Amino acid sequence: MNAAHSTYVWPRWWRLALLAAGTLILCSCRAPDICEPAHRSGIGSPTDLLPAGACEDQLPLEAVDCQDVGGPPAGFDSPALPLIMAGDWVPPGVSLPWPADEYLIDGGDHGQPVHVETDWDVIGLDLEDTVAHYDTVCGERIVTPSNIVPIYSPRFGSVRLVTSPLLNDQIVGAAGVELPERIVQQQENQIVTTELQNEQAIGQTGLRQPIDRKGRQWDGGISRAIGLAAFQDAFLPYENIAIIRQGIFEQSEKPYLAEGVTAAVTWTKDQAVHVIIDRQAAAEVVGDQRAQATYSVTPECGSPMLRIVKVASTQFAKPGETVDFTLRFDNVGTSLIGNVTIIDNLTTRLEYVPDSAQASVKAEFFTEPNQGDSLVLRWEITDPLEPGEGGICRFRCRVR
Amino acid sequence: MALVVAVGQANSSVFAQPPKVHYRHRSDLPPGAIGSAQLQRGGPLPGYFQPVEIKAPTGAEISLAAGNRFLDPQPSPTTAGLLVGGVYRFRVSRIPYEPGREVFPTVEIIDRLYPPGGQQKRFPIVVEITQEDLELALAGSFVTRVIYLEEPRAALPVAEEAIGGLNSHDAKPGDNPIEIADTLGRPMAILRLGGWLPINNQANGPVNEDLEPGLGTALPLIRYPSPGAGGTGVEYESEGPCFESEAEVPAATQPRTAGRIPAALPIGAKSQTATASHEAPAPRKLFGWRGR
Repeated sequence: MNAAHSTYVWPRWWRLALLAAGTLILCSCRAPDICEPAHRSGIGSPTDLLPAGACEDQLPLEAVDCQDVGGPPAGFDSPALPLIMAGDWVPPGVSLPWPADEYLIDGGDHGQPVHVETDWDVIGLDLEDTVAHYDTVCGERIVTPSNIVPIYSPRFGSVRLVTSPLLNDQIVGAAGVELPERIVQQQENQIVTTELQNEQAIGQTGLRQPIDRKGRQWDGGISRAIGLAAFQDAFLPYENIAIIRQGIFEQSEKPYLAEGVTAAVTWTKDQAVHVIIDRQAAAEVVGDQRAQATYSVTPECGSPMLRIVKVASTQFAKPGETVDFTLRFDNVGTSLIGNVTIIDNLTTRLEYVPDSAQASVKAEFFTEPNQGDSLVLRWEITDPLEPGEGGICRFRCRVR
Repeated sequence: MALVVAVGQANSSVFAQPPKVHYRHRSDLPPGAIGSAQLQRGGPLPGYFQPVEIKAPTGAEISLAAGNRFLDPQPSPTTAGLLVGGVYRFRVSRIPYEPGREVFPTVEIIDRLYPPGGQQKRFPIVVEITQEDLELALAGSFVTRVIYLEEPRAALPVAEEAIGGLNSHDAKPGDNPIEIADTLGRPMAILRLGGWLPINNQANGPVNEDLEPGLGTALPLIRYPSPGAGGTGVEYESEGPCFESEAEVPAATQPRTAGRIPAALPIGAKSQTATASHEAPAPRKLFGWRGR
């Protein structure tokens, strides 16, 4: 048994050599440079989706070489995916990140959905929003939000209260003002609001009409009673309401009226609708036939679609530290798109570092103040994007 | 049409009113009362050592209390892990422009952070004592600071570097700083300055004559390496429950239930005991539930 087993065990020198070769291969692996030419980076590299010469045409406002675009920026730490959006304890059933007040959120489309008017006015752009909009060859304008990037960055403030015995409001005197209790005389002087028959009736006038009359005919020994053709007694119990009795509608009697209406409905008959056309009733046809063909409609302008992904250089940042953000956009549709514009509305606690914006494609970059005393960053991609093309935008922020 | 508009405006005015909140806590409650109430909620609060960074003016020194004495003074800032719900007294000495004088503030931890794994020490609660606070305390005033976690979407658009410290608001006399802090974020700690002597209350048991005068027995804490010490930790001799890391904390020291906070209760107050529930999620807001 041992002899048979030993025949399957490789020699020791062979195992050591195999282990060394494997270690050498693993150590030689590296991530492909994003700006490495496609013929060198190989199939499936990020540059496959970049337009030719993307790294040569840089943003005019800043001369960035190819290495700067493709390589990580200073202080770039590879973010560990999936994103860590919670601590060691999370209540069950809550949405992440939790707790939200300890995270800075950037990206996505919060609040009202962003849409772009015909005059390029962007409506519904809230703080923290990051969207891209583009035009299709059919003239349609589409808005696509990015993913949400949370950054753990709690910041603290304080509220101070200074109390001193020298302050006047600290002097407590027995002025008696604080407890102004008095005898509540009103409790004994309550006015009678309900009065029930405080005067006893001393008499009653009968309104009962005679219901019969006896006639006595003297011309014989036969007498008979002749009844009046009228109400007997007053009203029946269900008629004892004012609208019936007096013709006056009272709110207190509404439920009774409703009940009466319901009862009235039940009295009706011939409720079903009968349709007869040319004296022939409609015939109901029940079949078991199924559709034998499925038709699909393909729009003339194809299926335009832009994907925008946002990542950050770190998931944790203290006030004063810098964070690099990268926006990756790709035309993952089947048709040409143009006027691609990427907008990032920075939240209040993110301060854009001047001259840190970059783009891997030819683009114009603009900034404008937003409602959070930060900036709205805007990249207008100059050239249209063919299917499969894309690019990268990058900028740096300082955490306030 | 006019009726519809009128009804709509009436509804909008009704819904625009902020929800009424009943605040159960005030800043003038005895130290520890709010923290004890927080522990009764259960959840992940009892037994958690929340890292706290205490800042003082440049030049001042901070001495934490461990066991029955103050530890060696450390330059500002100093960081330590403090129990949520506890009240810790420390000493601020070498105050600039106030030679020879000392202040003995207390800090009460009333909530904790939930940082991602491994980031607990990097993101402590920052408790800042300004020079003005110290001078007010030395002049006989009582300073209460409620430290809150700022709501990011309502944050002030200023950097801490620009203002030289944390954002600070002053409450008017008669205002409740906890209520104000709750509107600005999530209250995390309460700092109280005013003591010139290390007097502690006697709710944690009979007075031990061997203790430093009036200090009493301090709650356990974890002392983190000071940035000024090169990250190698601080050497000292501890006679009390002071630990250098979470691993050194004995299990018996970490209350599994919300127990009695000795230094927190006023004299004559009954001990408060509650059973911690690790299943029920703790409500987000501390001082009033507004459904948000």
